[in-house]
Amino acid sequence: MARLDRAGASEILDLVHDAIIVRDAAGHIVQWNLAAEQHYGWSRSEAHGQRLCELLGCTAAAPVSDIENLLLSAGLWEGELTRRDRNGREMAVEARWSLRRDRTGVPLHIVETSRDISHRRRTEAEARLTEYRYRNLFQAMAVAFWEIDFSGVGNMLRALFADGVTDVRAHMLADRQFTRTAMTRSRVRDVNDKTLSLFGAATREEIVGGTVARFWPAESEPVFIEAVVASAEKRPHYITETKLLTVTGAEIDVLFTVSWSPESRKEGVILLGVIDIGDRKRAEEAMHGLQADLARAARISILGEFTASIAHEVNQPLAAIATNGEAGLRWLDRPEPDIEEVRSLSARIVADARRAAEIIGRVRAMAEQRPPQRTLLDVNALIEETLLFLRHDLKSHAIAVSAVLATDLPPIAGDRTQIQQILVNLAVNAIQAMADLPVERRRLSVHSVKAAGRSVAVTIEDEGNGFAAGAEARLFDSFFTTKPSGMGMGLRICRSIAEAHGGTIEARARSGGAGAAFTLTLPGASWDEAVAAPGEVDDHTKV
Amino acid sequence: MTAERIISVVEDDESLRVALVGLLRASGYAGRGFASSEDYLGVRDGTCECVVTDIHLPGASGIEMIGLLRALGDDTPVIVITARPEPALEREAIGRGALCILRKPVEAKILLDCVVRALGA
Repeated sequence: MARLDRAGASEILDLVHDAIIVRDAAGHIVQWNLAAEQHYGWSRSEAHGQRLCELLGCTAAAPVSDIENLLLSAGLWEGELTRRDRNGREMAVEARWSLRRDRTGVPLHIVETSRDISHRRRTEAEARLTEYRYRNLFQAMAVAFWEIDFSGVGNMLRALFADGVTDVRAHMLADRQFTRTAMTRSRVRDVNDKTLSLFGAATREEIVGGTVARFWPAESEPVFIEAVVASAEKRPHYITETKLLTVTGAEIDVLFTVSWSPESRKEGVILLGVIDIGDRKRAEEAMHGLQADLARAARISILGEFTASIAHEVNQPLAAIATNGEAGLRWLDRPEPDIEEVRSLSARIVADARRAAEIIGRVRAMAEQRPPQRTLLDVNALIEETLLFLRHDLKSHAIAVSAVLATDLPPIAGDRTQIQQILVNLAVNAIQAMADLPVERRRLSVHSVKAAGRSVAVTIEDEGNGFAAGAEARLFDSFFTTKPSGMGMGLRICRSIAEAHGGTIEARARSGGAGAAFTLTLPGASWDEAVAAPGEVDDHTKV
Repeated sequence: MTAERIISVVEDDESLRVALVGLLRASGYAGRGFASSEDYLGVRDGTCECVVTDIHLPGASGIEMIGLLRALGDDTPVIVITARPEPALEREAIGRGALCILRKPVEAKILLDCVVRALGA
């Protein structure tokens, strides 16, 4: 092996990434490599001859004198130092000192290799801070947090994939036992104080160490399944509203969040956040109840506006029944009673009685007090029924009706009575708007069309005197009315019903002459609704 | 047995019209039904001896029909049926020469008594 000269050795030192500094026994720097220049900012010529611990500082956990004594006895020291570079920036340095002696054992040089570990220190500090912040949030926030060891579920999923299952959701929906087992393998690692109060536990031990299964009602299983699917699909989080159970088995309405960080995913740990939305739910329910009450009040008020028509509509079949009955008696009172005549009269009596009952049924549905129910509805059938409902009013006001109904409408999902209420309300407004017009102008037109985004639009137009330009928006305000006896709630309620169904209701001047046009737009039922809602389309809505 | 005497019923509600015609038939008359004044006036052939009509009809009302008949020199007796108490209309009907004013639901005996009076007149 060829020997290196001093200059050659120095060049090699410059190739090393660690700072290499050699100082003599008194501490004066005699060697200063390129990495030392880069680390500490001082050039070789500036550093040479300086005392190392004065130039950079040598603050360590122990006094430097102790370290030097240790070095003299052991010949080697390793540790961390705090130093300052040429700009005064504090830096953390990992250093290794070794002592070289001459042949007689007298200390000659101290060779130091060192590297800047400030960055590592910062990362560690940040990690501690993150952990501190996480713990702080975990404990202090008004959210019930659960740390769940999900690794057991992870194993179950891996076994599933190994068996060739690709659709976790379908598998779990089909195999409830799998789902329940997955719950019993979701172990609770930790919960915060808010969890104890929300779930009614006196101590942490009531929950921690157990599984989540007992907190999960059967009806919320789909939420668990979605959380597992989200985990399998490596989504960062999953949020939904659901119901969970307290330790005593009481149901609570919650906003449920599950999240994974990449780190926690490796450990198989998930974080559940649970927020109590019971108050909000109760408020919402109260508001829906109030809206339903108001809608009903409005329906009854509309009914009141045409009680005379309704009475007439019922009276007609009753009159027919009485007359048919009298005719029947006469056939029976003849010297040779004619049974065939009586039979056909009886059939008519039954048909007329049904007709009267149907009219009463429609009126009762309008007046009924019950929570709104979503079913699938055929809008055209509702329009036809509405016109039937108002038949007498339309006739007695000599209003000509034209209905143009599209045949390609999707069904909508909604409350039958409420949607009908909108149609009746709009039609009654139209009838009233035309009451004082010459007969030839009393025309009501109704048309239904399939509108953008698979929705259904129904437009009801009258040829009355319309409303003042610019009043379109105010028409829907509470207590806005153009009628002497109007309450001004009808359109307001129509709009709130439409909005509760995800739809809209708009007013504009009729195109092509005097009058008003109101368009009700409702979204077509989604596939889910079409599957889930009890279908009325094929049975009751037929007129 | 003498030929059955013809009575016409003008009523736009089909089931009530059929019921009234049936009652007249059960009572030994030949009843004929018409859905509007115009329908009746269109087939008027002088054989009808009494008209039973609703007031509210599409087109000309029952009361207007009396005026039209009289204008044509036709004095067939007319019995008017009303759906609800409408004193003004009832007075007008009497003024135009209606023989009886009956309210729905019509009692058969009262209607038939009126018919007998109409035919005897």
